[in-house]
Amino acid sequence: MPANNDQPRARNVSPRNTVREAQRGNRSKAFLWILGFIALIGVGAIGYVASKPKSSSVASVDVADTSNAGPAQGYLIGKVDAPVKIIEFADFECPSCGGWATVTEPDVRSRIIEPGLANLTYYDYPLEQHRNTLAASNAAACADEQGKFWPMHDRIFQAQTEWNGEATDAPKPFFKRYAGEVGLDVAKWESCFDARKYQKRIAANLADGMRRGVNSTPTFIIGDRKYPGMRSYDELKALVDSINRASGASVAGAAAPAKK
Amino acid sequence: MTKRMIVAALALAGIFVSLYLTLYKLGIIGELSCSVGSCETVNTSTWSRFLGLPVAAWGLLFYLDVFAISLIGTFPRFEDERVISLVLVAEAAVGVLFSAWLTYLELGVIHAICIWCVTSAVIVTLILLVSVADLRDFRAENTAAT
Repeated sequence: MPANNDQPRARNVSPRNTVREAQRGNRSKAFLWILGFIALIGVGAIGYVASKPKSSSVASVDVADTSNAGPAQGYLIGKVDAPVKIIEFADFECPSCGGWATVTEPDVRSRIIEPGLANLTYYDYPLEQHRNTLAASNAAACADEQGKFWPMHDRIFQAQTEWNGEATDAPKPFFKRYAGEVGLDVAKWESCFDARKYQKRIAANLADGMRRGVNSTPTFIIGDRKYPGMRSYDELKALVDSINRASGASVAGAAAPAKK
Repeated sequence: MTKRMIVAALALAGIFVSLYLTLYKLGIIGELSCSVGSCETVNTSTWSRFLGLPVAAWGLLFYLDVFAISLIGTFPRFEDERVISLVLVAEAAVGVLFSAWLTYLELGVIHAICIWCVTSAVIVTLILLVSVADLRDFRAENTAAT
């Protein structure tokens, strides 16, 4: 063990040692100041971030005037009368929404929504730090006009990294291409998109989210509870099952594929 | 400043970075401000958990531990304990390997970079470099003494 070597270094009493003590004192003082400084910055920064969403209510997109927005109107997928209603507030440009839509949602659709255990309604919640998200919401809303919201939704999310604010400041050509790919009447879609025909609907959806206290995307509302953040298929399935069980709806019945 | 003081200061900075990421992961901080890269993608991916705990929480425990050990190492009583330097080097080496693995996942698998995760990787690398230098001081002193 090194203990034997170490002892003599500090314990010699000599004039040089008092100098050393003094140096040590100064050093410790400087050290404590630096630690204090780092701690101050750290606590300050985390405190600031933690309080920010509450004080400046995260999201409002300046272009989406929510003052006179009218009723929110989401986009439904699944059976209208499904026993559980899942509400999703999402932002087309938010990476975790994209992750959820492309990785988790296919399972949710094929194993929860298609069998009729639940339906899902998508509401726009465009965040202000995403500069192309509002255009994406408009692009999807104009696809809804032609009954193709969901194919467009999927296409937009799949290609998120090629049209997002980091990639371009002119996302329209991308959306126009997707419009063609999902089989829309592109001319009709384009006039709708250019006119921002559904801007009010998007604003209303955002306002509805803010009213419900949504402050991050994606946020899910299932029954009367809010679940912020990505949810795995298993989590959603367990939630849906528990609500179905509690309300007495037969999960077994729903597991037998829905009659169309 | 002795080298152990530098390690302690770095570890304290690491504590705050990992605390921030942990709070985000737990949902206490609602929105991650993420001007560079995609912290959301990284911090919500499948790889953001390790042995049941969020990776960020492991980072927090790691930095707390390194901070405590290096702080104790600055006390006059322990200043000359070589064991502390050895432990710091060993821990920092594990930290660097783990960070390297996570950075590989970010670049090669998740294809998204989280600036705070990179910050943590830089801090842990600096901790390793300084602890190695600290350990070498002992070696230098020992050879000088004999």
